[in-house]
Amino acid sequence: MSKRFAQISSFLAVALLAGCNKSDSSDNAPVITKEGREVPGAARTYTVGMSQCNLGEPWRVQMNEDIRAAAAKHPELKVIFKDAQNDTLKQRSHVEEFVSSKVDLIIISPKEAQPLTEPVASAMDAGIPVIVLDRALLGDKYTCFIGADNKKIGKAAGQWIAKKLGGKGKVVELMGLMTSTPGQDRHTGFREGIAGTDIDVIFSADMKWLEPDARQEMESALARFDHIDLVYGHNDPGAHGAYLAAKAAGRDNIIFVGIDALPQEGVAYVQQGILDATFRYPTGGAEAVDTALKILNGQAQTVPKKIVLGTRLFDKSNIAQGGEALP
Amino acid sequence: MPEANSNPPPLVRMSGITKRFGPVTVLRDVQFECRAGEVHVLAGENGAGKSTLIKILAGVHTEFEGRLEINGSRGVAVIHQELSLIGSMSVADNIFLGRAPARAGFVCAARQEQDSRRWTAQLGLDIDVRQPVEKFPAAIQQLIEIAKALSQDARVIVMDEPTSALNAPEVARLFALIQSLKARGCAIIYITHKMEEIERIADRITVLRDGQWIGTAPAAELPAPKLIQWMVGRELGEQFPRRVPHSGGERLRLENFSVFPTGFSARPAVNQISLSARAGEVVGIGGLQGSGASELFLGLFGAYGSRTSGAAQMDGRPCRFASPRQAIGSGVALLTNDRKATGLVLSLSVAANATLAGLPALSPGGWRSPARERAAAEKMTGPMRLRAASLDAEAGTLSGGNQQKVALAKSLQTRPRLLLLDEPTRGIDVGAKREIYQLVDEWTAQGIAILLITSEMPELLTLSDRVIVLHRGRITAELARGQATPEAVLAAAMGQTTEEL
Amino acid sequence: MNDTADAARPPAWKTFLGSPGGRALLALVLVLAAGAAFNADGAFFKIGTHRDTLRQASVYGILACGMTLVIISGGIDLAVGSVVALTAVCAATMAIHWNWPAWEVVPASLAIGGACGTIAGFITAAWKVQPFIATLAMMVFARGLAKYASGGMKVSTAVQNADGTYHYVEVPTLFRVIDHRILGGNLSMVTVIFIICVALAWLALSRHRWGRYLYAIGGNEEAARLSGVPVVGAKVCAYAASGLFAAVAGLCQAAQEQQGDPEAGAGYELVAIAMVVIGGTSLMGGRGGIGLTLLGVLTIGYLDKILSINAVPEAGRLVLTGVIIVAAVMTQRRNRT
Repeated sequence: MSKRFAQISSFLAVALLAGCNKSDSSDNAPVITKEGREVPGAARTYTVGMSQCNLGEPWRVQMNEDIRAAAAKHPELKVIFKDAQNDTLKQRSHVEEFVSSKVDLIIISPKEAQPLTEPVASAMDAGIPVIVLDRALLGDKYTCFIGADNKKIGKAAGQWIAKKLGGKGKVVELMGLMTSTPGQDRHTGFREGIAGTDIDVIFSADMKWLEPDARQEMESALARFDHIDLVYGHNDPGAHGAYLAAKAAGRDNIIFVGIDALPQEGVAYVQQGILDATFRYPTGGAEAVDTALKILNGQAQTVPKKIVLGTRLFDKSNIAQGGEALP
Repeated sequence: MPEANSNPPPLVRMSGITKRFGPVTVLRDVQFECRAGEVHVLAGENGAGKSTLIKILAGVHTEFEGRLEINGSRGVAVIHQELSLIGSMSVADNIFLGRAPARAGFVCAARQEQDSRRWTAQLGLDIDVRQPVEKFPAAIQQLIEIAKALSQDARVIVMDEPTSALNAPEVARLFALIQSLKARGCAIIYITHKMEEIERIADRITVLRDGQWIGTAPAAELPAPKLIQWMVGRELGEQFPRRVPHSGGERLRLENFSVFPTGFSARPAVNQISLSARAGEVVGIGGLQGSGASELFLGLFGAYGSRTSGAAQMDGRPCRFASPRQAIGSGVALLTNDRKATGLVLSLSVAANATLAGLPALSPGGWRSPARERAAAEKMTGPMRLRAASLDAEAGTLSGGNQQKVALAKSLQTRPRLLLLDEPTRGIDVGAKREIYQLVDEWTAQGIAILLITSEMPELLTLSDRVIVLHRGRITAELARGQATPEAVLAAAMGQTTEEL
Repeated sequence: MNDTADAARPPAWKTFLGSPGGRALLALVLVLAAGAAFNADGAFFKIGTHRDTLRQASVYGILACGMTLVIISGGIDLAVGSVVALTAVCAATMAIHWNWPAWEVVPASLAIGGACGTIAGFITAAWKVQPFIATLAMMVFARGLAKYASGGMKVSTAVQNADGTYHYVEVPTLFRVIDHRILGGNLSMVTVIFIICVALAWLALSRHRWGRYLYAIGGNEEAARLSGVPVVGAKVCAYAASGLFAAVAGLCQAAQEQQGDPEAGAGYELVAIAMVVIGGTSLMGGRGGIGLTLLGVLTIGYLDKILSINAVPEAGRLVLTGVIIVAAVMTQRRNRT
């Protein structure tokens, strides 16, 4: 008897924990006329539904933080955050829930393009504007897409590296998950950036965005090559792991470059002298809130279909000024 | 004894069979043949080579020297001593395992059930064939195994100790079935250690000793003393040593003791029994399947936790144990009736098994010393004539008889004052049995009180100073040594209380 | 009376080769030979490469020590990866942000890991829930705790001020010591810690009563119980030990990353299980040992390294590793009748 009870309770505990998400569930009450239509106008709160594909990555936690901080400046905005825990089907139901509770606007950072295109299109049909962040959907049934261009960032990194090394040198490339678009884009962009120079990529490995893996790959590179000038990591944790490996090996004159530039991570590394440069991969959170306000205040026609965010370079020369924006 | 048909063609003929495992020759130039319509007993001590011969016959071993001829194509069905049923599957599924009546791959459950019921009914089994096998006690499982072999409709049927878990009426039913198989022209190859069975059903007897063929003769020409002589190669003065009764102070007293294996809401397996045992005494517990004898031991030993009631005292002090650990600590040891399932850890070595129950004493502060363990294991297994070289062998590689000796050694390791033996000589050959009886004698001389369950009547009557008979959880008879006859014990076991006798 | 029914005795070297230890050693030798053959311009022969291989394998190896104990007792522990993250986060918070000295950080971290293990062990041993389910629940729970305790961000030397800017603290001594190299830079401290863990686990399994109890429980739990083995207590201790080892691994992980990452350790439990299984310890319980696990750790560690120095692309690595794991397990199965 107690065995059965224990089995059921632990199963329920697992299910409960798995289903637990960090959603702030608050009620939303848009102003509705007797005929059932929403009334736009001044001095009313807007409810914005925000669906994040996962909060496992610090960068996405930062995105939610940026949205929260930007929305805090506008008391008429109320944002409901939902975490899909990297489950596409969950994210679909987020969109459906937002539609049925008649939010004023949806911001979504989708996990995948294909399965979420149709729910977003339905939301648009229901009259709810949708801002898509970071990963694009198929077609064009959404109000606005805001994202950074990893190829551009990679190319900027490549150009900075080419300039730093004076056009020639031996470089190790530590790649993010090469089955993901960011990884592929940061790779092709980088190669474009160093094209035509005498820079030789002597070793490249997929470290899957993970610091321990990057450390291991760097150790292998250090074992194989006595001379390495620079390490280009597709993200800051990767570059950090490589730095630790080189430091432990006593190889002190290697330059380290990363991407992401989270304030407490990449930027901090540059300030501490661990990385020589990092490139911000902007979350777009603040821009999303600005765009949302424009749409909600009736200026939707001034909002472009696609906003490509620029990147920001942080290196020793400009860290005190908070980095330098790149076109 | 029905005469075998005069010279029908042999169904099985094996000649010049030699089988080696590496450098060890297990069978040397063995011959064996078996005719339709006969019960041919294959006799020999443990390790004589009987199982290997049967495995060659059944096609398990394909590499051997010599010739094997099987007439007819319906093959050989083997009923093993160690059961090969799958506990979680139903009876019907087990009987037709691999041969289920099917259409396009889907098993016809109804057909299968019907056929299984037919086979089990033939053996007098009235059970629900849809129930999983593990729900039935060992005796029933053995009959299911027999039903399985019979349903394969083979002409040669090998039965290896088929009655080890059966009671007298079930044995009688089996023997009647064997007679009908004989009449149908089947050949039964029967392996057993029980003399009375050999005397009852054998037509011919073949004796193997140490891997060699000693002889084959009609049963009439091989009375028990001569058969034993062939098996052990020496004259055995008397088969069982006479027990000199010892008797000391009262060691164990049970009053209105009940055991509820499945909880207090169900019927107790042992119902308000009172008994006592003295130091140096052997109290035999007689009873058939379902008598509650094994449950009595387990309940006394703390295996059912606190699911017991009544008073239990050892040497005057209360001893209702909540766990086997407590029981062992207080000087009680149990030899279970199923060494493979509950007696030994087959993946551990012989030494590890022998010292498992007594490990706290051998490991002060928790730290073990392999040397100390070996010494303790040797000390216990030495008197039982277990070869020292096999102390490191995995218990699973030992023969059944040797495994039983290891289990016994483990029980004795803890220096018990009360020893509960449940079928101590199951699956052990004659010579080893004799050694164990001598050991029982020595243990009682040391002042250990012994409770003994055994389904072999001669053993029960020879070893016990007193016999207590259980029937469905209650005591139906208490017989002093002189009063205990096979008839009295059997009658009480079947429910007739002493007043009715 | 002779025991011809017992198994026969072939020559010693053949027995060894057929034994799990022999096969594990053979697998390791084959991997090392492959490394010598595909040595990436001599990189395989450098002492630094071997030091780094051991360093990389150490965290997994420490987990594998605890996993061996649990698997021998007939169970499994899926929670260790999450416990690594939880302890890494807690240790980093204690050492970096709260400035606790090492002699407070270490016991506290061990206590956290031990508590996780004890709870999971209690659920499976006393309440009779299957180990897979109980430790799966703990895996989710500990990961959640790690994210909660860290706020979803890595706990690093960048400490946030009240106004949102950051100031940087030194990497704590404890972490620097753990991520240190000794013997003239040829041996990593984490490898030493790993070896100590191996020794402790070996002592428990081979020289302590509790170790024998674990083998008995894994081999035949009912027979063990009827032989007076304290089954529940021994099992809980096994899972507690696994949690302790995971805590040690978490400390090493935090020290090597110089931060506490709540996402750390994801999938580490599977690597640990693979190492134990390749070594030859049976997943059914009752058989195996630390020596075998050590061989498994080295085999997988060197395999990883060889693929890394030869810059084999990711897809190829996954396929090769999978094939080798299956091959290793299959050669072991032939031994069992």
